Amino acid sequence: MKGIRKTLVATCALAGLALTVPAMAEGPTMDELMGDAESTSDVLTYGMGPWQQRFSPLDAINTETVAKMVPAFAASLGGEKQRGQESQPIVYDGVIYVTGSYSRMFAFDARTGEKLWEYNARLPDGIMPCCDVVNRGAAIHGDKVIFATLDARLVALNRKTGKVIWNKVTGDYKAGYSATAAPIIVKDMVITGNSGGEFGVVGAVSARDVNTGELIWNRPVIEGHMGTLRGQDNGITGTTNATWPGDMWKTGGGATWLGGTYDPGTNMVFFGTGNPAPWNSHLRPGDNLYTSSTLAIDADTGVIKWHYQTSPNDGWDFDGVNEFIPFDGTFNGKKRKMGAKADRNGFFYVLDRTNGKLLNATPFVMQPNWASKIDLKTGRPVFNPDNRPGAPGDAEKGKSVFATPSFLGGKNWMPMAYSPDTEMFYVPSNDWGMDIWNEPIAYKKGAAYLGAGFTIKPIAEDHIGALRAIDPKTGKIMWEYKNKAPLWGGVLTTRGNLVFTGTPEGYLKAFDARTGKELWKFQTGSGVVGSPVTWEQDGEQYVAVMSGWGGAVPLWGGEVAKTFKEISQGGSLWVFKLPR
Amino acid sequence: MSDTRRGFIAGLLGAAGTLAVSGPLGAAPLARVKELGVLRVGLYADNRPWSWEAGGRPKGIDADLATAIAEGLGVRPEIALFPADEEISDDLRNVVWRGGLLGFRRCDLMLHVPFDMQLAAREDQVVMVAPYYREDFTAVCSSQTRDCDMPPQRFVGSKVGAELDSIPDFYLTGGFGGILRGDVEHFPTGYDAAAAVHDGKVEMAVATRAQIEAAMAGRPDSRAKLRKSPLPMLPSRGWDIGMAVREDSRSLGFAVEDIVMQMTADGRMAAIFEGHGVSWQQPEATRSIG
Repeated sequence: MKGIRKTLVATCALAGLALTVPAMAEGPTMDELMGDAESTSDVLTYGMGPWQQRFSPLDAINTETVAKMVPAFAASLGGEKQRGQESQPIVYDGVIYVTGSYSRMFAFDARTGEKLWEYNARLPDGIMPCCDVVNRGAAIHGDKVIFATLDARLVALNRKTGKVIWNKVTGDYKAGYSATAAPIIVKDMVITGNSGGEFGVVGAVSARDVNTGELIWNRPVIEGHMGTLRGQDNGITGTTNATWPGDMWKTGGGATWLGGTYDPGTNMVFFGTGNPAPWNSHLRPGDNLYTSSTLAIDADTGVIKWHYQTSPNDGWDFDGVNEFIPFDGTFNGKKRKMGAKADRNGFFYVLDRTNGKLLNATPFVMQPNWASKIDLKTGRPVFNPDNRPGAPGDAEKGKSVFATPSFLGGKNWMPMAYSPDTEMFYVPSNDWGMDIWNEPIAYKKGAAYLGAGFTIKPIAEDHIGALRAIDPKTGKIMWEYKNKAPLWGGVLTTRGNLVFTGTPEGYLKAFDARTGKELWKFQTGSGVVGSPVTWEQDGEQYVAVMSGWGGAVPLWGGEVAKTFKEISQGGSLWVFKLPR
Repeated sequence: MSDTRRGFIAGLLGAAGTLAVSGPLGAAPLARVKELGVLRVGLYADNRPWSWEAGGRPKGIDADLATAIAEGLGVRPEIALFPADEEISDDLRNVVWRGGLLGFRRCDLMLHVPFDMQLAAREDQVVMVAPYYREDFTAVCSSQTRDCDMPPQRFVGSKVGAELDSIPDFYLTGGFGGILRGDVEHFPTGYDAAAAVHDGKVEMAVATRAQIEAAMAGRPDSRAKLRKSPLPMLPSRGWDIGMAVREDSRSLGFAVEDIVMQMTADGRMAAIFEGHGVSWQQPEATRSIG
């Protein structure tokens, strides 16, 4: 008893001490997070700045020097949980924070690679995640590092100790909700989307107090659902039943599973939304708003300011979650605030980010055939009705449709980068198509079901993956690097006139940002599907990336699987620099 | 009869391309179950009246059947309720032959697996055994409905219920030129859709016969009516329900099949169904060769 009293007193004393320490000393502030694109000594945000351009002004490693780059160290995540490592490292105060497969987080010494701590979320064994057990990265703020877990929680850890500060349920995993995206932090709020492939899931974006995890606002993305702000109703999304038949909006899908970007200038967060449910588009005539769209949401209130739908009445499982990256520049001779999105559906869209108006849309993959073009006047796709999968309901095997891109998308989750120096976007894309047919012999939960059969197929002899440099003013592809296996990792670009990305074959590669010439590569021992970052430490420039093959691609077989059948699993952080 | 059935299974395996069978034809799995004294059975969660959780315990026809099978083998049942994945192939992988990615331990036996030759040919990691029921879709109407057997499109303007993303859903929302699309009320399960008729929330619901009968048995007071004639243009004429074991566990599968046949013959099978308000229907597979 006495012992306990003593401990209590000691704790109180410590807490009292902590209060006297200025908040500054605890870790990165909101200002520092917003300045992450300019600061070079750290990586504080997913995407390296609120716009997530993944551009660094560092240039010590450049087209001249990169050939000499060597590993500084590698650090294993250990254990048996070696599946897809899609994380982007966060670097602060001599520590590298990475998340790993199976909802784990690690802190490594940024100078030595020694592990400082590891956090393993205890996951219920009843979750059956659809698309591998990945995580895409953490957020940092003050004394906390925050990440999302597969059982749909947000967990805030003390960045020094790895101990839990708060842990909030963001969705019911039993109802099919999950979470894999990196959170963003805006005005002391953690802003996240939600994910889940199951029926009944409704996409939403929500903001929580970074210090407590308490909900501030929530915005469902399907018309008819009520938003909230500080516990009060805050208006219905869209107009109920305007673009959905019957009660289908109640279970309309549209999961915002990839997270979002933030533009401090307009104070809007931009979130992409997933495909509508049910999968077959003939059952839900209408645009099905706001699925397969980009939404601009007021960061203070969660009110939707504009929307742009890339795939109305989506019938190909494209969804529209891809990141919308703000950038400034001239378009048709006029200075404009813009944003760009390389959509799953194979088109590269440039919008006015103040109002969502379409400026340009061009294909960025080989021959998308679901639409012949995007009409710049109406902003809508011109569909090819022949390439829309048929209605269910026939007991016979339906007609097979070959549609491009495949449902894994012209670009999937992996983030592109933008260089204000070259004024080009660098898009990790894939050229593939799919046969789709209605499958009468199907069963779900022990009952007969009308399923759909898919086969994903390459459409080129020599490659599936293609890293493409796109001029957003014209949509023109300025150069491309072709890769045999599908590309599944993020991109980084730098003032050193370089573009970095990883390949499933295990390489981290560096290219000349203007010409696409490959200048350097390093074999990391497993496929690279993470996003590289760079920072400066002790006067030297460092580059880091996660290695560990996985993600959704290996879950699908067929012709595509031949391109990666020899790739082994892994789980390591690799850090590079120039030799001294 | 038992020999014929086994012949059928062997034929299926042959058609699927013979996968290497290790060791003597799988004596081990049955012996292992008996040695451990436990039969681990995978059942769908939230699948009333077949299997669901009530008061922390598994309940339902499949839960009773799993218990009876374990008893027949002289071992203790261990029932694992698992969430259904997108389709049967995923469930067989997660539950029978590989296990879940996040540590869900695979089961010795899974119930409520459709017994279908084409499916069995595709699923070469498992063996389908012991068909035990014939399932089909039908409709239930409220006591107010004048004619429960009228064509479904005549219900236009009244609420009709179906399980979300099921054949009854596609049938009602997509069939008849989509005339009922605005009237369809979606439910998480067919049982809930059927129960909604009794609660007066919908006038008619399409669900499986077992879901409808079980919901009726629970609410005799509502005087809801079961449709007697087949639903026109329904894209399913019914299917058999059986069980699955892993490809290397045929000895266990055959032992289970013997128990199921005995239960069918001595009336225990029909009694289990009756206990949940469902009339047992003989599977087509055992009818045609039996």
